[in-house]
Amino acid sequence: MMKASAFESYHPIVLFIFFASTIFFTMFLTHPIYLAISLAASALLLSTLIGLKELLKTTLYTMPIFLLISISNPVFSHRGVTPLFYINYNPITLESTLYGLAMATMIVSIMLWFRCYNLIMTSDKFICIFGNTIPILALIISISLRLIPRLKDQIKRISNSQRTLGMYTDTGNILEKVKSRIRILSILITWALENSIDTADSMKARGYGLKNRTTFSIFKFDKRDIVLLSIILLLILINIIGEIQKYSSYHYYPYISNIDLSLKATFYYISYLLLTILPTIIEIKEDLKWQSLKSKI
Amino acid sequence: MSAKFKKRYNKRSLIISASVILLIIPAIIAIGVKLFNDRKYNLISFIVTFLACIPFFAKFEQRKPRPREILCISVMSTLSVVGRLIFVMLPGFKPVTAITAITGAFLGPESGFLTGALSAIISNIYYGQGPWTPFQMLTWGLLGFIAGILSKFNLMENKIVIILYGIFSGIVFSLMMDIWFVLSIDGLFTWEQYYMAIIAALPFTIIYCISNVVFLLLLYRPIGEKLERVKLKYGLMQN
Repeated sequence: MMKASAFESYHPIVLFIFFASTIFFTMFLTHPIYLAISLAASALLLSTLIGLKELLKTTLYTMPIFLLISISNPVFSHRGVTPLFYINYNPITLESTLYGLAMATMIVSIMLWFRCYNLIMTSDKFICIFGNTIPILALIISISLRLIPRLKDQIKRISNSQRTLGMYTDTGNILEKVKSRIRILSILITWALENSIDTADSMKARGYGLKNRTTFSIFKFDKRDIVLLSIILLLILINIIGEIQKYSSYHYYPYISNIDLSLKATFYYISYLLLTILPTIIEIKEDLKWQSLKSKI
Repeated sequence: MSAKFKKRYNKRSLIISASVILLIIPAIIAIGVKLFNDRKYNLISFIVTFLACIPFFAKFEQRKPRPREILCISVMSTLSVVGRLIFVMLPGFKPVTAITAITGAFLGPESGFLTGALSAIISNIYYGQGPWTPFQMLTWGLLGFIAGILSKFNLMENKIVIILYGIFSGIVFSLMMDIWFVLSIDGLFTWEQYYMAIIAALPFTIIYCISNVVFLLLLYRPIGEKLERVKLKYGLMQN
């Protein structure tokens, strides 16, 4: 269960740009510092959203993937110049081990970012963003999201009536089970198609597709959205400049490059850190504000 | 809608499709090869698969479909999502491909593509979006499209073709998901790892094939009749 979040209350476009840019940067930058920052920031944000206990559960869940990827890379890839040891005359190199670790970190942080995305970008926000660019497809998605609970409800009714007729089987062999489920599906389809025509006609009667009709949106683009959006865009720009100047590029093969710790490079690392922990900062700030307000009462 | 109006819309969607296929996708691949030394397979393939869906979407958006068509596609994609729920006790045994294929066969290739691609988006709103979403969108979409093309030549009436299509689609789906899996391992694509992934996923591939064949054989006639009836009764998808 997710608790109320302050970051979530921003306009969907701001949220979407944040997630798109962080996921893009995570997939794109293989520099170890950048990967570590991304992993830490995604874990932090997730812990503010679902709590530490749930985060640990998720981490346990991603552990096998992390291990699989970090072990399989050095086993399959023998690139690199520093052999650690040999298996069947095939060298296990330092470089490919580190590359495997980096890729595993990348995948796990992408999974954590997507977990945050799924928690924050609910379907209404998704439709708000795409309602203007792909109005009809967004409409289809929104109708479907409404239809799913309706169909589930209908499935329950159909299976109840099938049960009273003695035609629904929870037991028996797989073929019987599948057959009774398919009968339900078939009944459901008839109902859903007929019903959809009603909906379509009522849409038409209410003037769907006529000129000058607007779409309703509950989200307002406030001043604070502009502030946050400009901060995010500025940080994205700084990071792109850093990438162009090669501060965020890193090579694992044939031998690993050195980590640049000059002042200028550190500036770019910090700007990336700021971008990725922006939502966590907002959460903590809002939390502190709430605590101080509570104590005043 | 007047013929001239229609023509203009067709032209616009053609321009969008052509620019995506002929300019944007090659440009992104070229950027991937030149600028990033050919090392960002995962990101580039993620973007390219997503872009590959755009021509279909653009054509549909430009056509200004009627509410009845919109609802029909919406119902079919919802059904494939709910179908996943009905058969939740059998892992891997899902009717999504079958329902997409049947929609494609009876309502045309375009509807098939949209039903498949939208099923992927909608079901992932429930089961979680991820880097696999564009791959599922493209695969299910194209499977629906292929079924639509096959039925244009009256091939889907044949039971043997249906069985072959079911096996084919199970294998294609599995192969596409394996590509995603290999790319996610180390951001690179090697045939060695791909073969390993295919072998590791073999049980799932077999379940996909069996479930597709079973669902297609059991559902093709009943759903087809229903779609035919709705099409005839309400005059759907005539253009």
